[in-house]
Amino acid sequence: MAAYEKRRAAAAPAPAAGSGLGESARAGAAARGLGTEAEFLLQAGVTAMVREALLKVLEARPEEPVAFLADYFEKLVLSSPGAGGEAAAEPPGLPQRLARALWYVRLAHHSHRTAFNNNMGMAYECLSASGRRKRPGVDGRLYSELLRRICRPGAAPEDVVAALLRKIQCRDHEAVPFDVFRYGVLTCFVLLEFTAKAGTLYDVLDGGSGPADKRVCQAVLCTLEDALGASDFSVPIRYLEAGSKLGPDCLALAMDRALQERKLSVAMSREEFLKKATALFVAKVKPID
Amino acid sequence: MLSPERLSLPGPEYLAQRHVLTYMEDAVSQLLENREDISQYGIARFFTEYFNSVRQGTHVLFREFSFVQATPHNRASFLRTFWRCFRTVGKNGDLLTAQEYHCLLQLLCPDFPMELTQKAARIVLMDDAMDCLMSFSDFLFAFQIQFYYSEFLESVAAIYQDLLAGKSPNTVIVPTSSSGQHRQRQPPNDCSPLDGVETSLFYQCLESLCDRSKYSCPPSALVKEMLSSAQRLTFSGFLMALAKHQGINRALGALPDKGDLFLDPAMDQELEKLVAQVSGLSISAPASSSGDAANLPAHNLPRVSSPWKPLHHRRKMDAESEGSNEETDSSEN
Repeated sequence: MAAYEKRRAAAAPAPAAGSGLGESARAGAAARGLGTEAEFLLQAGVTAMVREALLKVLEARPEEPVAFLADYFEKLVLSSPGAGGEAAAEPPGLPQRLARALWYVRLAHHSHRTAFNNNMGMAYECLSASGRRKRPGVDGRLYSELLRRICRPGAAPEDVVAALLRKIQCRDHEAVPFDVFRYGVLTCFVLLEFTAKAGTLYDVLDGGSGPADKRVCQAVLCTLEDALGASDFSVPIRYLEAGSKLGPDCLALAMDRALQERKLSVAMSREEFLKKATALFVAKVKPID
Repeated sequence: MLSPERLSLPGPEYLAQRHVLTYMEDAVSQLLENREDISQYGIARFFTEYFNSVRQGTHVLFREFSFVQATPHNRASFLRTFWRCFRTVGKNGDLLTAQEYHCLLQLLCPDFPMELTQKAARIVLMDDAMDCLMSFSDFLFAFQIQFYYSEFLESVAAIYQDLLAGKSPNTVIVPTSSSGQHRQRQPPNDCSPLDGVETSLFYQCLESLCDRSKYSCPPSALVKEMLSSAQRLTFSGFLMALAKHQGINRALGALPDKGDLFLDPAMDQELEKLVAQVSGLSISAPASSSGDAANLPAHNLPRVSSPWKPLHHRRKMDAESEGSNEETDSSEN
């Protein structure tokens, strides 16, 4: 109870205007108290830490900010020097650095370009801070490992991920420049999102009742391929073109045509659909040389 | 709650909508109160503990009322805590008065206002006979509605009074042509001998209230469904229907269904363990909480990390002698 009273007293705001002498003296004392509190917060680094955390929240705009903050501060504890009694001079081991880099790149959605790029920089720095070598850097092995972890099992069809990784991998001993690093990580995230979208598309196609009709799926995939295919995406007009090809009317026509063909109705499984759809995406990924 | 528009909100609005600053400010003031311990403990770790306890809903235990009611999440956490702490009352079939329930509430939140408890009791007891006994579940569900939707219910009460007095509620602006018709139709209702107000008109007002309100409202679809069965209704009838509606309880998400209110095998097991322990000991509990092995924060944040266990055995005595808070147990409930 006593502790509670103390807390209440501390939580009560300082009186704004004293009416009597005693009152104003007390207000003065309270103001001094507030002064030292602010000083304490500044000196102990609380102010900076809170500001940093709020910026991260604003960048990422998580659905559940409280959970996000809990995780954020937990990472901060784990990564702070001296955590777990280790010597501060020793750089964190490889697994920790990888986990931390992974956390950074997942902090903000890639559509928040600035935030995403910032976090990407942090991840790159974090991976390259190995300390043992004079010139730090990210090598191909570390980079590939990070990419593999981003495409965690189950998020996208396995062989499609493998095909993508083959395209954007570097050799184990090669140094990976930041541009390549950024490109690789971003591509992986886009693949994951593409897979999720393709999954939703399949849900629509199967109408919530079992496997979808193969002819319809095929028609949708063909339209998708057509829209993506043979176009050079460096020219902005191509985006419009692709968009119009995927418009509801074109798509509906294609699906309608597919259904009118007199073929035996066979089902296409979700796995197969996802595999084919994501393969289309991977085919468009430019390999790094 | 899945709302992509959060990505396009201006920063301050997003923070306000999710009550981020409420928690951040509270965290900092808690930190200031414990500042002696912080140096050895670590600021980041303090924040981690704080936000984890907010996430788990244990953060409202023994806090002041202004904080307990500050956010919908806090309210839901408080309801859940109340249920978990005192469910044995219901399990044993004990009936308590409003005053006694209020004492239980005050064990969790010392400055909990009596007015709220009384309002909740009035939902169960229909105005008169305020010293009647109530079952735990009746009180709990009425209390849930009254506490969680407190601001909403206040506005509804005002609307109801306006409708009853025959004026169209001035708080409501319905920009459709039908509202004009209703206004014209209103005066005859005035002298109607029937109880209450016309349901459809009442619902229209509620719907527009929910659209505008910045406070939590029950989902309009459920309210509509709930009101659809009756032609006319009274305010107390409305409150009772809200309290008894399982769908609204589910949408609120703090408590289980009425049937599952006393089902909690894990808790029962723990209670049994505790009874076994306590029967071996005398009532006086160990003074320090250092027994909480592997639970560093327990010492620094007593109200956050120590669930209140001993109450289950002494519920009625405790109702009179509030304020004994011994800690006996390190496990979570």
